[in-house]
Amino acid sequence: MDIAHSIQSIGFLVAFSESVLAYPIVLSIHLTCIALFGGMILATDLRLLGLTFKSLTITDVVTSLRPWKRIGGTIMIAMGLLLAASEAEKYAPNPFFWAKMIILGLIGVHALVFRPIVYSKTEELDRSPVIATKAKVAAILSLSLWTAMFVMGRLIAYWD
Amino acid sequence: MLLQNAIGDALNNTEWAFALAECVHIGGFAVGVGSIVLVDFRMLNLGLRHETAGRILRYTELWTVIALLFVVFSGVALFLSQTDIYRVNLIFPFKMYVLAAALIYNFTVHRKVARMENPSPLLSRLVATVSLLLWVSVVFGGIFTGFLV
Repeated sequence: MDIAHSIQSIGFLVAFSESVLAYPIVLSIHLTCIALFGGMILATDLRLLGLTFKSLTITDVVTSLRPWKRIGGTIMIAMGLLLAASEAEKYAPNPFFWAKMIILGLIGVHALVFRPIVYSKTEELDRSPVIATKAKVAAILSLSLWTAMFVMGRLIAYWD
Repeated sequence: MLLQNAIGDALNNTEWAFALAECVHIGGFAVGVGSIVLVDFRMLNLGLRHETAGRILRYTELWTVIALLFVVFSGVALFLSQTDIYRVNLIFPFKMYVLAAALIYNFTVHRKVARMENPSPLLSRLVATVSLLLWVSVVFGGIFTGFLV
């Protein structure tokens, strides 16, 4: 708890949590990113499963949305960490917060595992007449992890 | 009134019901607005360039409608669980006006321009930008409804 107290006592974080407007604005940005870039993750995964956007190649969908997902993901995580750090003492004992952080770590692992064999090999996937199983596995895991991440985020507010 | 109270009571008396309704509300919003944003990004020429905006709209339309229906129904349930709070809230009416504008805009102007054969790039960009601004305003309105009572 001492560490948590020290984190939320950092100057700019104190100013942040004491401001009436800063917290809801940052939370709104966090949620806007979920809506904007959640749709892009969904689009990518559904294309990998062969369920939609069939007139576009997997390469088109993955590569054209990639920069926006990166920007969105970065803003989303930065805003999320700011929200958590400003109330570190409240978040530290919250099991849903830690579950969410573990899922965030698993999303990192997912990227490390599937980037070299799926997301960087889209042209190979497009050449195949049927979508490779590894691509479908990557998509289903991605959908499951992001859904779990979202639900944990919401449940943080309900633990006391 | 009886029905309203029944829904409100169910949400207030069941521990997980309010959390579930909120998850459906925000999750549905992410899918519904996320699918509209895909069309907007195409109209802004920022992604999915190998397909027309009209075609992207056809792929996403059903997702948008189903997800937004979930958002509206869960939203009504959340509202009914705390009508007193929403009635005096200063931000909530603003959110409702912007939401009404966003919905009408999406299924009229936005849809029409997205489906045009050869719209001028300027028109497409303008229509997509207004769409993004409207939906982002709804998110801000929703969060501020909860914070500035």
